[in-house]
Formats: sequence, structure tokens, C-alpha cells
Amino acid sequence: MDQISVMAAAGMQARMQSLDLVANNLANSSTSGYKTDGEFYTLFTSEAAGEDASGASSVPMIQRQWTDFAPGLLEPTNNPLDFGLAGKGFFVVQGPSGPLYTRNGNFRFSTGGALVTSEGYPLLQQNGQPFRANTAQPLAVSLDGDITQNGNSIGRIQVAEFQSHAGLTKFGANFFWNTTGQEPAEATGSQIYQGKIEASNVSASHGAVRIVGLSRQFEMMQKAILLANDMGKKSIEEVAKV
Amino acid sequence: MIRALFSAASGMNAQQTNVENIANNIANANTAGFKARRAQFQDLLYQNLIQPGAAATQQTVVPTGLQLGLGTRAVSNEVIFTQGDFSETDNPLDLVIQGNGFFQVLQPSGQTAYTKAGDFHLNQTGQIVDPNGNLLDPPITVPQNALSLTIGSDGTVSYTLPGQAAAQQAGQIQLANFANPSGLNSLGQNLFQQTDASGAPVIGPPGGQDGMGTLLQGYLEQSNVSIVQEFVNLIVSQRAYEANSKVVKAADDMYQQVNNLKQ
Repeated sequence: MDQISVMAAAGMQARMQSLDLVANNLANSSTSGYKTDGEFYTLFTSEAAGEDASGASSVPMIQRQWTDFAPGLLEPTNNPLDFGLAGKGFFVVQGPSGPLYTRNGNFRFSTGGALVTSEGYPLLQQNGQPFRANTAQPLAVSLDGDITQNGNSIGRIQVAEFQSHAGLTKFGANFFWNTTGQEPAEATGSQIYQGKIEASNVSASHGAVRIVGLSRQFEMMQKAILLANDMGKKSIEEVAKV
Repeated sequence: MIRALFSAASGMNAQQTNVENIANNIANANTAGFKARRAQFQDLLYQNLIQPGAAATQQTVVPTGLQLGLGTRAVSNEVIFTQGDFSETDNPLDLVIQGNGFFQVLQPSGQTAYTKAGDFHLNQTGQIVDPNGNLLDPPITVPQNALSLTIGSDGTVSYTLPGQAAAQQAGQIQLANFANPSGLNSLGQNLFQQTDASGAPVIGPPGGQDGMGTLLQGYLEQSNVSIVQEFVNLIVSQRAYEANSKVVKAADDMYQQVNNLKQ
């Protein structure tokens, strides 16, 4: 294949992956605690090009995706077991194979009185244990995460903060997991609002603009491939006319 | 690329569920004792195109990798058990639970169902029943010639008979509560059913040690649906549906252009 087609085809493939990311963002515009994904483009230069790698010997590709951890709106739900997290940090829940981190503060009581996610993973206290609440009593959460029932404290919600979010990988079901082994610290300055939940931080208008941009770039590269084909065809049919 | 189509389709599906839930809430805005439901969503699994931590060269590893999400799904629509407004009815058999707890009624099948709707009536034998004729559990019978009927905040049902000064007690209403009321199963007709998720009911008198609410006679609890909130949710949901449909269109256009590459 000629160089133009290779480059344009790689560009088209990368735009398709970009659209996959945008589609997933928009699909999750109602997912509580969801964080928008973006992507980084890079130039892939083949080893054969060696030292004198010019623009013509490299192709665009998506190197990696990044997650925008900007806070979402805190929506009032009036559900006393919805906790909205303002500021940095994540709720910590006990997943099946270690701790999982989430900004989705929608919990319910398990039959044993623990606060659990919709999967049944218990929310952890600062001491790393699940809560043991009396489910018949109303529950009050202070801004700093202290849970009280009838004036008695039953523990404080653990809010984990990471120095860098680079090692947080999406697990699905609104969870992140920590792939670096970097131990999180207890968050400072985070506030917990009872009866609110953090909405998705997806911006629909931004998504719409991205779709338009991606579609047009895709179209241009398609035109480039057609043009390259045309040139090839002409050089074979006309230049080499015997 | 097919990923974009399926992600967008999953988003449209989820928003449809959302609108259906909102429609049911609005339809029940005047149902006494109705509790609104709120739809919850989750992102689906992620496809790892480049595994984070994979070796980039012999010395370095890929710091974050490339993960493409596969859309969303509706995970639950939990019941929000906030208190509705009270409206005065002056009907002695209209009851409101101020606080936690459910009335227990006995279905014809013999199973107990639970309800927040306190619009009770008497049947032909003088037993207290709900609007569908299900008996209040434990059963309470009021004689036909009873003059006035009083239900105390602790659930004690008493009446006076003609020519008698002293009131007679007919029984005490018992309430049930659950560890996880959001896990109850809705049966329709304002009734809920116990599940493994809700846990076994704790039964006790109103206002007692078990954390039950107290009863208020002559009032009905209105639905806790907030029309304003529901309409705002409806607008957001409709726009999200539209955005997802645009993704379908964009993905379809890209496919079409790919097909046109070969002339």
C-alpha cells in the first residue's frame, strides 16, 4: 500500500476508537459517579524508519485513554442512604478480590446492617471494617463522614485519596481499582452530603462537538484514501501507457 | 467500531428504562401511600486494548493502557421511602405511619404483604380490611353497633357501644419493618412482599422499642412523588436519549464511508 493510504487508514481506525470512547461517555451520562474518558493521540514511528523519521513514516494512533476526574453535580435524591462526596477522594468498598474505589454513593442496608452497594459490596469504615448499623433507626451522616444513630457514633466513612489517579483503572459497575500498588491516604477536606448523589460528569454538548469533529476528520481521511487510489490508478493506466 | 453502536444502543435502552420509571412515578403522583422509584445506572465492562502495566520496552511499562468501555445498563430502581405529605380526611379508618414501618395485610393466598397505604375499611363481618379486601394482620374486628372508633398513636383500636360509657378495646395494630426496605418486591396495589434482600420483618407495635413510627388517625399519606423533580429528570433523560441516537448516526455514517472506499 502507498504511504498516504496507510496513514489515512490508521487515522480512520483511531477516530473509530475515539468514537467508541465518546459513545461510552454519552451512554453513561446518567450513571452516578461516572467519570468521562478522553484519549491521547500519539505518532507511531516504525523502527525501520530509524533516525530520520520524517512525518511521512509515522502514523497516528491512540496511545492511551485518560479519565477526567472533575466532580459531577451533587443531585439531591432525599434518600438518606445516598452519600454525595464533595472534594477529592473515593468511597472504599470491599470487592470480591480486594478494595474497590467509587464515587457512586448509593448504598442500602444489608440484612446484617452493613451499608452495601447494589452488588452487595460493603462500604468500609476508616478502620477497614464494614459498618454495623441498627437498621430500624434513622442514620445521620455528618459532613466529615461520621455516622451516628440515636446520637451514638457507629464509625466514620473511609475516603481514600490518591496522589496520582494514573493507576486507577475502570472496573465497570462504577468502580475503580488500584493497579499501581500505591497505597491511598485518608482524604483531607472532603465533605459527605447525605441525601445527595454525584451525577455523571459527562458533558453532552462536549460529546456532540466531538462527534461532529470526529465525523468530519474521518470523512477527510476517507477522501485522502480515494485520492491516493485515484493517483495510483492514473499512474498505472496513463503514465505506463504503451 | 461496532462498540460505539452497541454502547449507544445500551445508552438508549437505559434512558428508555429511565423514562418508563419516570412515567410510572408521575402516573402514581396521586396514589396514596405510593413511594417513588429512582433508576440507577452502571457502566459495563471495559475492553482492554492495551493492558496497563504491560511492557512497553524492556525497561518501561505502559502506565495506563487503553480501555474502551462498552456502555451502560440500568442496575436497579430502588424505592425511595421518604415520607409523603399528609392530607386530612376525617375518616376514622385512614391511618398514616409517621416514621418507619409497614402495615401488614393478609392476602387471599395466605401470604403476608406490606403496605404504606393506610386507607382501611370495614368488611361485612366488621373486620378491618384494605381497599382490596385483604385482612389487616393481626385481624381486628369492630362490632356493627360500635359508635365511635378511635385508633391511638400506639395502634390501639377502641370503640364505644351505645349506652356504655367505657370504651372497649378491639386490638392493637402491629407494624413490620425491614433491614433493607429498598429490597422489597412491589406487588402492585400498593403492596410489597418480603424478599431475601429485604430480610425478615421485625414486628412491633407503633412507637415501640423497635423503631416503628407512630400512627395518626384521620389522615392519609400522599404519594412522595415530586412532579417538578420528575419533569426535570424527564428532560435530562430525553436529551441523553437524543445524544445517544446521534452517536448511532455518526457511527453509521463512518461505516458508510468505509464501504465507499472501494470504488
